[in-house]
Amino acid sequence: MICLEARRLVDPFVDNELGPAASADLQAHLASCTTCRQLLADRDSLGRLVRHLPYYPASDQLRAKIVRISTRPRFNRRLLAWAAVLALAVSLGGSVEVARFARTRRVVETTASVADEVIGDHIRALRDAHLFDVRSSDQHTVKPWFLGKLDFSPPVEDLSSIGFPLLGGRLDHVAGQPVAALVYQRRLHPINMFIWPAGDPTAASDSRSIRGFQVRHWIRHGMSFWAVSDLNDAEFGEFVRALQR
Amino acid sequence: MPRQTFEEVVLPHLDAAFNYARWLTRSDADAEDVVQDAYVRALRFFSSLRSDDARSWLLTIVRNTWYGRFSQARGANQTTIYDDMTHDRPDHGLDPEALVMQQQAIEKVQRAVQELPADFREVIVLRELEELSYREIAAVAGIPIGTVMSRLARARERLLAILEPSVARTGKRS
Repeated sequence: MICLEARRLVDPFVDNELGPAASADLQAHLASCTTCRQLLADRDSLGRLVRHLPYYPASDQLRAKIVRISTRPRFNRRLLAWAAVLALAVSLGGSVEVARFARTRRVVETTASVADEVIGDHIRALRDAHLFDVRSSDQHTVKPWFLGKLDFSPPVEDLSSIGFPLLGGRLDHVAGQPVAALVYQRRLHPINMFIWPAGDPTAASDSRSIRGFQVRHWIRHGMSFWAVSDLNDAEFGEFVRALQR
Repeated sequence: MPRQTFEEVVLPHLDAAFNYARWLTRSDADAEDVVQDAYVRALRFFSSLRSDDARSWLLTIVRNTWYGRFSQARGANQTTIYDDMTHDRPDHGLDPEALVMQQQAIEKVQRAVQELPADFREVIVLRELEELSYREIAAVAGIPIGTVMSRLARARERLLAILEPSVARTGKRS
């Protein structure tokens, strides 16, 4: 093993992320190389110091707030008003109505929240110039790329024939879960297509415009689709219809 | 599978969430805001938590919340004041002189970590303080494992460059 190689292995070695074979190779090299031994010693010294960095625990005040959020999620002051409406609904229509009412509320909130998040992801990807991890000319290079990276296989369609070339794909996160992000383009307008298994309590379909961005959502074959772009309404509609066909 | 409640699954990771947010934001008040927001989001999406690793899941939400709220407005590379050292955990087995030297070195390393760019700072915090695996860090930060490895290496090299004299002073070099 040469030093250049050893240098790359030192970090995974101190982090216990190196397999036994590679560890043995590295140790053999260290036995005969003082420079790399010094490198490891420096890492160890640094590690000892860094592990003494302050660990900031949550304050009691914050903990109390979070416990309130966690244990009584649906009973803040604003909701008392809703409770009154619900009580009325009970007297009028019975418990089925109540359940439907509560569910509707939750769906409205969740849908809005996901819409905000996918726009945030869209903006971030553009700002960081990190639109895709895998570049593509067609769907056959993008789809397999997701294998092993996600616990589902996103449908990947090639729409270049109607003027929406697929640029690539990347992993992104929505609501803390990994999702597939496909990137299409019309002229200079990128379109982010977020896909994950349906399961969130969102509406079955949604369409909104926030801060100049268009968001379209639909569920199909058990997958939740969220498309975001700054493209105009007509062309964005064309894109969405093509995928829904 | 018996479904556990949000309280049972997510609440125990509050300290981890706050510590991570505190290191990202470098401010108690901002960290509290981020954590509160993150918990509201987490609660909303709890039904869609698919993995059994609630901590990584929560930290991912904390990161996304922070990223959405702060990285644009403040600039991820901004350096700010770091305040009290009240949460330190020095080794008590050392003699007084060594303790002082270690304390100085720790303060220096804390300053150095605070001044790292956010991308580097977070891998150090997730690895050294949360003791997450590379795979978990990759999931939280939304980057490939190879990037986790290279960022850790570069972050450590930067810290060592800054710390060289104090590392030497602790008598542990060579």
